[in-house]
Amino acid sequence: MLRRAVLSARLIHRDGVFTALAFAILIFSPSVFAATLTASVDRDTITLGEQVTLSLTFSGATPQTIPAPNVEGLQIDYVGQSSHVNIVQNQISSSVSHNFNVTPRRAGDFVIPAITADVGGEKLTTQPIKLKVLKAAAPSAEAINSGSQLAVLKLALPKKEIYVGEIIPMELDLYLHSSVRNISGFQITSFPADGCSLGKMVQRDQRRAQLGNTVYTVIPLSYTLRPLRAGTLNLGPITVSVVVEIPSARRRRDPFFEQFGMRDPFEMLGGEQKQLTLATEVETLRSLALSQENVPPSFNGAVGSFTLNVSVGPTNVAVGDPITVRIQLSGQGPFDTLALPEQPGWHDFKTYPPTTKVDTTGDPLGIRGSKTFEQVVVPQNAEIKELPPVSFSFFDPEGKSYRTLSGQAMKLVVRPSGVAPAPTVAAANRGQPEELPPPTQDIVPIKTRWGTLAQGGAVLVHQPWFLALQSVPVLALLSGVVLRKRAENLANNPRRRRQRQVAQVIHDGLQELSRLASENKSDDFFATLFRLLQEQLGERLDSPASSITEAVIDEHLKPKGVSETLLSQVQELFQTCNLARYAPIKSSQELAALIPRLETTLRALQSLELHNHQLR
Amino acid sequence: MSDRNLGQRIVYGVCSGLRILDLGHWTGVLLLVLLGSSSVLGQTPAEAFSAANKLYYENKFNEAAAAYEKLIQLRKGSVAVYFNLGNAWFKSGQLGRAIAAYRQAEKLSPRDPDIRANLQFARNQAQGPTFVSNRWFQWLRKLTLNEWTILAAGALWLSLLLFTAVQYRPAWKGHLRGWLILTTVGTAILCGCLGLALRRAYSSPIAIITHDAVVQEGPVEGSPTAFAVHDGAELRVVDEKDEWLLVSTDARRLGWVRRDQVLLAPPI
Repeated sequence: MLRRAVLSARLIHRDGVFTALAFAILIFSPSVFAATLTASVDRDTITLGEQVTLSLTFSGATPQTIPAPNVEGLQIDYVGQSSHVNIVQNQISSSVSHNFNVTPRRAGDFVIPAITADVGGEKLTTQPIKLKVLKAAAPSAEAINSGSQLAVLKLALPKKEIYVGEIIPMELDLYLHSSVRNISGFQITSFPADGCSLGKMVQRDQRRAQLGNTVYTVIPLSYTLRPLRAGTLNLGPITVSVVVEIPSARRRRDPFFEQFGMRDPFEMLGGEQKQLTLATEVETLRSLALSQENVPPSFNGAVGSFTLNVSVGPTNVAVGDPITVRIQLSGQGPFDTLALPEQPGWHDFKTYPPTTKVDTTGDPLGIRGSKTFEQVVVPQNAEIKELPPVSFSFFDPEGKSYRTLSGQAMKLVVRPSGVAPAPTVAAANRGQPEELPPPTQDIVPIKTRWGTLAQGGAVLVHQPWFLALQSVPVLALLSGVVLRKRAENLANNPRRRRQRQVAQVIHDGLQELSRLASENKSDDFFATLFRLLQEQLGERLDSPASSITEAVIDEHLKPKGVSETLLSQVQELFQTCNLARYAPIKSSQELAALIPRLETTLRALQSLELHNHQLR
Repeated sequence: MSDRNLGQRIVYGVCSGLRILDLGHWTGVLLLVLLGSSSVLGQTPAEAFSAANKLYYENKFNEAAAAYEKLIQLRKGSVAVYFNLGNAWFKSGQLGRAIAAYRQAEKLSPRDPDIRANLQFARNQAQGPTFVSNRWFQWLRKLTLNEWTILAAGALWLSLLLFTAVQYRPAWKGHLRGWLILTTVGTAILCGCLGLALRRAYSSPIAIITHDAVVQEGPVEGSPTAFAVHDGAELRVVDEKDEWLLVSTDARRLGWVRRDQVLLAPPI
């Protein structure tokens, strides 16, 4: 079966033969080889804070369940599995390792007991494994002073005697030898601080310090520490795991650079990494209990150093109106847990839970700054004359005694509910314009005349008639623009302008003719008639009116295709005018009869406009 | 007024309403309601106003306020009614309601010195954070929206008519150049002011706190407190959700307050 599987795998892909082979082995190996189970650790002796890897290796078998060992004092966490295929002298074997991280919780000798696993109904058992966990210890002073340590971990406390509830900063300093190029994988593996609470960590700026004859780079990490119980408290040893990178010891230094007293620049190219487990000394703290004598009534557990600032407003209120009391505590202490104590003097006020605001700007550890409480109190009767002083007590570790801070009693004017407020000078202006009336002592009295009805909702911009009305000036402007454009066009078109002038002349001339006919002024009549013909023909032919004679009929009108009828009409009128010079027509009726003929002829000439191109 | 007269008035009001209802106009319904209301009131608006003033002078401020509000509900509110209502609320210690009434009066008559004085006085009594509109909007408040509209329209008319005259009489252009520039610039400025006034008129309303309240960080009961506000505080409404209003006094203070803790007033 195995052979067939191997052959099949070879046929699948030539390059993937080993993958296929391993796959086949993994599938079929349980039925071919005898299953075994072994347990091993990568190291059998470690320092507290370090980890070892426990591997359960199944050869030739696949377990149905992975047994998890349980040893008191050891934390064992499953991390995953890895597979291996071995081919030795045509003998193929496969194994699967299931790995666990083992983290000791204390120093001592441990035994990981035999582990039994069920593999295909067969029980496989490992041998017990011994593990020795040594206590992490800080290097001796001699070792540090000799400069042989690549890294040193130190714990610095500002004082060794503190009170329960007091918050102090502490510093964990990582000293790095000058030969350390870089660090990685920094991890605090153990931070024993029984009976204390630790605050947040803040990394501060690096500095340089000398230990013995060696200069170290110090990376400081700051914490806040707060003891929770009285007594002797041990802090540490704090252990950390860190990987340092140092120059490789195998690389020979180049004497070329050494002869000039220079460092080999290529030294940076080679280096080796080293994992270190560092530990601090154990620091012993003496945690003192707070005195049980002379405890102020308003003490509610605050330990530190504070100052008090109180402000109240408004101070002129009616019964039931809210008054805001702002209480600011500034100084050093655990601001996160700082609470405002009950104020027994405020029994005449209804109080609400205060709102708080912590401001520790400038102190990354958050133990210096201020906390502001905004407390709303409501006076319950009109007999109240003042707000009793705010009282706040705390234990001062420096003075080793309790201290009580008290604000001043705040004068209040509390009037019965529903009564007009007493006249007061207006409060601070809140950004109103300067032209507002000056502050008054009381409100202006009521108005006695009803006045006109408020017309709510009659907004002009919503009225259609109003919007339509706005179109009037717009239309006027548009019409003005149109007229001006027409006038400009006329001014820029001499032909058109002459056409209009001639039309006017013709219009006036025809009236003149009627008058002359009625007055029987034959000479003037025919002179005017002749002039009108000249004007109209001149305009049509774009020639001066004075140059128009009967000859234009043959010279200009005929060549341009004007109808014979019109030509004959024009010719007759010209000839009538010529005849009248020698044989004047005396009758008014005869003169008047000529006017319609002239009008007809002129209209016909004017209609030639559509055939303007014929005239040019 | 005798009971007989009152009965006649009611009958007349109902009959009038029914006649109008026959025509099927909704306006008839409104008129009927108004006539009926007037009859029920039994007084002319001026008489009701005087009666409310009498209550005020007798230091019955709550009753006076109720009487003024009755007039307003019957659409008989005038500037004086809103002003006196503000005074009545102020005297009864209801600062927020007083400010709301003064704001309404100021909206109707923005340059009335009495209204402005009392509104300013009432605002000065209010403590804690409050919303203060910027100086531009405060300046715009000197005129009503309709006054701004008429001013802008007048300037527009004048400007357009001058331009029209120049179209008809181009020779006048030289003489009218200064006026043309002046009216054009004036029109642009007044139209800008009208635009700002419109923007203000149709911006989000103002919530006026009527009792001390706590503005919360979220629109649910038990949400953390954002800040405290007191009676008379004016807050700009930014948003609303169910029974909650998102209000702010400035860029730093934003939170939710229950709708029943405030009076909503239109922006002036």
